[in-house]
Amino acid sequence: MIALALDGLRRAIFAISIVAIFVLFVGPIMILGVTSVRPASGAFYIWRGTNFTLNNFVEVLHQSQVLEAMWNSFVLSTLATILSLGITVGSGYMLSRFGGWIQRSWFATIYVFRTVPYISWVLPLYLVNTRLGIYDSYLGLLLPHIAVHVCFFSWLMKGFFDGVNPSMEYAALIDGCTRWGAFCRVALPAAMPGIAALAILCWLSTWNEFLFALILSGKRTPLITSTMAQFVTETGTEWNLMSATAVLAMLPALLVTIFGQKYVIRGLRM
Amino acid sequence: MIVRSTKLGLDEKERFMLFLIAPAAIVLACFEIIPILIGMNASFRDWSLVNPQRTWVGLKQYVAVFTDPVFLKIVLPNTFLLMTASVGLSLAFGLALASLLNRPFFGRAVVRTIILLPLTIAPVITATMIRWSFNDQFGVITNFLSYLGLADIGWLSDRWPSFALVIMTDIWIWTPWFTIILLAALQGLPPEPFEAARIDAATPWCIFRRITMPMLRPVIIVCVLIRAIDAFRTFDQVWILTGGGPARSTEVFSVYTYVLAFVDLDIGRGAAAAGVGAIIMLFVGGVLYKLVNRSVEVSR
Amino acid sequence: MAQIVLHDVVKKYGTFQVVHEVNLNIADGEFVVLVGPSGCGKSTTLRMIAGLESISAGTLRIGNKVVNDVPPKDRDIAMVFQNYALYQHMTVFDNLAFGLRNRKVPEMEIRSEVTRATQMLGLEPLLARKPFQLSGGQQQRVALGRCIVRRPQVFLFDEPLSNLDAKLRAQMRIEIKALRERVPTTSVYVTHDQVEAMTLGDRVVVMKDGWIQQIGTPLEVYNRPANRFVASFIGAPAMNFMEVELVEEHGVVSAQAKDFKVELPDEQAAVLRKHSAKTVTLGIRPEQIRLGMPSGNTGSSFSGVVTVTEQLGSELVIALNVADSTIMASRISPETGVSPHARVQMWVDGKALQFFDHENGKAITCAPCTLR
Ligand SMILES: Nc1ncnc2c1ncn2[C@@H]1O[C@H](COP(=O)(O)OP(=O)(O)O)[C@@H](O)[C@H]1O
Ligand SMILES: [Mg+2]
Repeated sequence: MIALALDGLRRAIFAISIVAIFVLFVGPIMILGVTSVRPASGAFYIWRGTNFTLNNFVEVLHQSQVLEAMWNSFVLSTLATILSLGITVGSGYMLSRFGGWIQRSWFATIYVFRTVPYISWVLPLYLVNTRLGIYDSYLGLLLPHIAVHVCFFSWLMKGFFDGVNPSMEYAALIDGCTRWGAFCRVALPAAMPGIAALAILCWLSTWNEFLFALILSGKRTPLITSTMAQFVTETGTEWNLMSATAVLAMLPALLVTIFGQKYVIRGLRM
Repeated sequence: MIVRSTKLGLDEKERFMLFLIAPAAIVLACFEIIPILIGMNASFRDWSLVNPQRTWVGLKQYVAVFTDPVFLKIVLPNTFLLMTASVGLSLAFGLALASLLNRPFFGRAVVRTIILLPLTIAPVITATMIRWSFNDQFGVITNFLSYLGLADIGWLSDRWPSFALVIMTDIWIWTPWFTIILLAALQGLPPEPFEAARIDAATPWCIFRRITMPMLRPVIIVCVLIRAIDAFRTFDQVWILTGGGPARSTEVFSVYTYVLAFVDLDIGRGAAAAGVGAIIMLFVGGVLYKLVNRSVEVSR
Repeated sequence: MAQIVLHDVVKKYGTFQVVHEVNLNIADGEFVVLVGPSGCGKSTTLRMIAGLESISAGTLRIGNKVVNDVPPKDRDIAMVFQNYALYQHMTVFDNLAFGLRNRKVPEMEIRSEVTRATQMLGLEPLLARKPFQLSGGQQQRVALGRCIVRRPQVFLFDEPLSNLDAKLRAQMRIEIKALRERVPTTSVYVTHDQVEAMTLGDRVVVMKDGWIQQIGTPLEVYNRPANRFVASFIGAPAMNFMEVELVEEHGVVSAQAKDFKVELPDEQAAVLRKHSAKTVTLGIRPEQIRLGMPSGNTGSSFSGVVTVTEQLGSELVIALNVADSTIMASRISPETGVSPHARVQMWVDGKALQFFDHENGKAITCAPCTLR
């Protein structure tokens, strides 16, 4: 009897925990979602009243800045992903396959510079960008977004290549490849699943990135996160519009979570 | 015996190694290392918008930062409190969730999708929706709490509730990260020790403490290292949720530096604060690295 | 086809030397097996021949060319790895063709070479598959095929059979042997398994701790091991060793230990008389120990207590306690009713006894072969 009751209790606790996870993780998103489809008058006390509208989205999309910011963020994320992966893949391969003083010093370097807080180098980077005249331009935003990934991605890439048996590359060397050929034609395809997962995470993290956007972008090249933040910190009252913008900015994340879940999980696990 | 003369300079392999890291190293040098040097240069100068002469003032800016009561009494404690509370609690919740999800049940795939959401949504958006949910008049959660009789918590107007909100947001974002990684680690554990323990009639708690935890230790340590370093630079959530307020009471390191440089427009002082942060993190990072390397080989 | 010459080849990792002055001449078409316990530097030596590891000192010639600084792709070699090292993202056909394509061989010729190799190895039905769809044995056959298609000067094998189960290993061993008849290319084969070394090698090179212990034909290393290590490494069950005193009585030399005494034939005695120390290590192969009383006049008998018996069906292996040490005897007739705790009478032919220096383990009775 007691065993049975205990078992029931355990099941109940389990079910309650699962429901709690739903409420905790979906709740705030639901609140935002509901606010975004309420008319301006109904945005307050969103749990009262039943009139819903898509006007918020229409209005937000008519403000040219939101669309422009989304486009800029899209272009920036895509370019940053391609370039970050492109430049760190060789670095990770080197860390994984070779030893000696070059490998050790490079490993130490990326570890050290990964610990440096972003603000410590983005602040002076603002000075550099204004001096070079690339402040608030694609180039000025792109390069820091690549640099920020160098350290961590080199480390992750090392992990991907550690999971690939090097004897395939030895076979390739003997089969007539140069070191570069063995890297490109044998090691790289084998590490591809990991790299693909990292690509998705990289794209999302650039899309979501805020500090750089805040400091290095302005009116000319607005990005979606800094545009959102302006809404919140400057206007601060049009919650329906703000929520609509947030929902738009959240779309890529939702799509990736639903359709690319496998890759996201694989990328995070590394 | 013919000993091949050791050549000065680099052999073919070393040249290839340098070739592989060259692009990454160049980008790192140009857009991280050089700015840091420029920042260091700026931090020794009196450089603000009201006083653009950039006169060399030596360590004056550093002294100013280190004698700033806001920095010492609020920013540093806040930063480390956020770091420990966020990392510790998200690790604890992540471990609990991972254990909970490490069994088949109906709807598990859905739960796994849901806990990915906080990780893929921008912290800016997360902070926005938390701020809206805790809005003192119209926030859904504030109203729900007052319905429960917890009406007068100044979520965004008192220091500790505001800071608690910041920490909660951070935990909301990072618990799933720990969950996913620990879940993967749990599923990757070999089944034999657990079977042996079951045969030895160990209680679930005992299995968790004596078998699961030791086997997860390396993963946990690496995760904590990564998260602790990242938690130090938290900016987005704090900036959107509280903006450092009320009355600078929830400022953390990144916010403090940002405010100095881009709100007060005192570049020199901001650069000095940035330098102080970098030095603190180099130290903290070094200590953590030593600790981690003692228990798990990170480098190889 | 080419000969390989290693002259004083050394490998160091930092200051840690893992291969010491290796000297080895491998004739054109010869099949040489490097054998030794794991970690003894076999793979390192092989990888230096392949060009995958740099050579710290010494010279390496393939053909008549010094190739110390020639990259692997230009050494005209092919290699089979323990874990097969097939290109996981390519089909079997592409795996086989990869090396030829790298060398810009016309596609027609590639086809005919691949066909030749697949027929030889029975791979035709697998050409369109990817490596992960193959069993271990099939993967290893593809790896062999990858070598054959290239028609290189040298084949290198690094423990190619270690990942296979015992039965498949025996089968593949025969296949390699058969292949060798059809493709008589100079080969260097690394293994830690002395059976593979004995069955495959024209010559066997026994290594330990980075030093070559002995180079010889399989029979030479079996019958005349250069030292105690080689004697114990080659042959299974391993050779028995005992500390014995040499005693000369009435012109007859015998080796004695507590409760143990064997008389030595004259030619052995002659060599041992010249040896300075009176204490030596006696080695007896388990298969030389017989049950019962000696037949012939060079046999000496001794007795021991049986501790364990292992019935293999084809033979009986017994462990005996003789003079406080355990001695294995194999090839005992399985029908013999020997049971544990029984005291049995054994004998051994004095000519089959081997003696090693007590201090340095070098063989005393055999003419010193290449020693180190
Ligand atoms: N990259 C390396 N750095 C240092 N020592 C190594 C390295 N590779 C191999 N060794 C050492 O060299 C010795 C010989 O290794 P190896 O040739 O692989 O042995 P095996 O005979 O089992 O094939 C081993 O003791 C090993 O620890
Ligand atoms: Mg080996």
